[in-house]
Amino acid sequence: MNPKTLLVGMVCTLLCLGTQAQGLLSKVKQKAEQAAEKALDKKANQKTGNTGGSSPGTDSGSGSSSSSGSHPTNKGGGGLVTTPPDVKQNLTDAETAFKTNGYGDARYAVQQAMLGVEMEIGNKILKSLPETVSALKKQDEADKVTSTGWGWVGLTIERQYLKDDKELRTTIANNSAWMSAVNVYLANGGYAQQTNGEQNWKQIKVKGYRAIIEYDESSGYKLSVPIGQSSLIIWQGVNFASEQEMIAAANTFDLDGIKKTLGEK
Amino acid sequence: MKKFSIFLLATLAFGALKAQDFSKNLASARTAYGSGDLENARFSMQQMLNDLDIMIGKEVMKLLPAKMDALAANTKNDNVTVNTGLTGVVIHRDYGTGDKAVDVEIMSNSPLIASLNAILSIPFIGNSGDGTQKVVKIDGYKSILQKDVNSETNKTGYTLQTPLNSTLVTIKIENTTEADIVRLANTIPLSDIAKMVQ
Repeated sequence: MNPKTLLVGMVCTLLCLGTQAQGLLSKVKQKAEQAAEKALDKKANQKTGNTGGSSPGTDSGSGSSSSSGSHPTNKGGGGLVTTPPDVKQNLTDAETAFKTNGYGDARYAVQQAMLGVEMEIGNKILKSLPETVSALKKQDEADKVTSTGWGWVGLTIERQYLKDDKELRTTIANNSAWMSAVNVYLANGGYAQQTNGEQNWKQIKVKGYRAIIEYDESSGYKLSVPIGQSSLIIWQGVNFASEQEMIAAANTFDLDGIKKTLGEK
Repeated sequence: MKKFSIFLLATLAFGALKAQDFSKNLASARTAYGSGDLENARFSMQQMLNDLDIMIGKEVMKLLPAKMDALAANTKNDNVTVNTGLTGVVIHRDYGTGDKAVDVEIMSNSPLIASLNAILSIPFIGNSGDGTQKVVKIDGYKSILQKDVNSETNKTGYTLQTPLNSTLVTIKIENTTEADIVRLANTIPLSDIAKMVQ
């Protein structure tokens, strides 16, 4: 036999044996760890008087990861207090920081103040919305005001009306990045209407405002109305029988009032 | 010297003007909020943010070196742009002329930050196999260095991007070496800029 081939063969055999030996070693190590864990668990159970297999909230598996078993799960807590930032205090903080050239801190304080004002605007608008729409009642727990305090996504106000399987979701967005998309629809003649029966959107007017109504078999009706320069109100109706019913629901909202509260012209 | 004095005076006058604007807008915000006019209070606060952004931009500009090697800053091109919201403040300065010129751009609230941080956190993505992209450290901050060979001139340029929280510092040179761009970038006090824009 060629001595070179013999040498290569021997090296390969040694490598294979090495790999097998390593695998065997790791198996032995794993088994030893499992046995040690079991012994420890047994001791701990004897001390705490828990004769069951596992303590509540702990991992009852064989314990390939020894740390996952020792963490209790959270069963509840007070959550976070959602108090809007104090506008007056933040304006004072901004002034103080500004006077000492702390522009970064001044900026943060102004953002917090703006967040506070936006939350107040949002809550004011929520109060002005109708309690019921087309026999659907408002869902208090779904009322939501979201503000980033820095303009881009701006202020978003959400309200939900529900009865059985019929639902109307209302979203009012101010300083919204979505505005440009909707305005393209409204301004661009290229989005012409079709007459072949596959029309799934069209332009309409809601209380004198230009709007777009869309229909989708799975999600239902969607009505978008830009108000003023940078605000948009969207209604999403699930299980509404017809376009007319959807428009009637939208007509119960005081669009001029919302526009005024948002400071739009 | 005369030119420099005029520039200094103009800068000081601009700073004073912005400080006045801030105080004026602060007073308007307080009055509007006190009278329950929330929308006008909000508008005044947006103006305050603009004023602050410009002032922060000017302060950051002062931190940038006056020279990079032999390349002097083209102060007439210094620019601070504020777009409240989407991209925040964009601070621009360039040094020298021609293909050796250095472009420095600092953008707060940059939309690229998330993707750059993702690249930086996964080492095998940050360093590409073909050598066009690698992760380097500038003033202790992890940065992405990208090589770009111009197919027409055959010159090798580099772009260095350093994320500082939500701010992105980009340095671009059309014709340079990796060692040179890293050395020049190290003359920018990134830690001080990070403190200023945070």
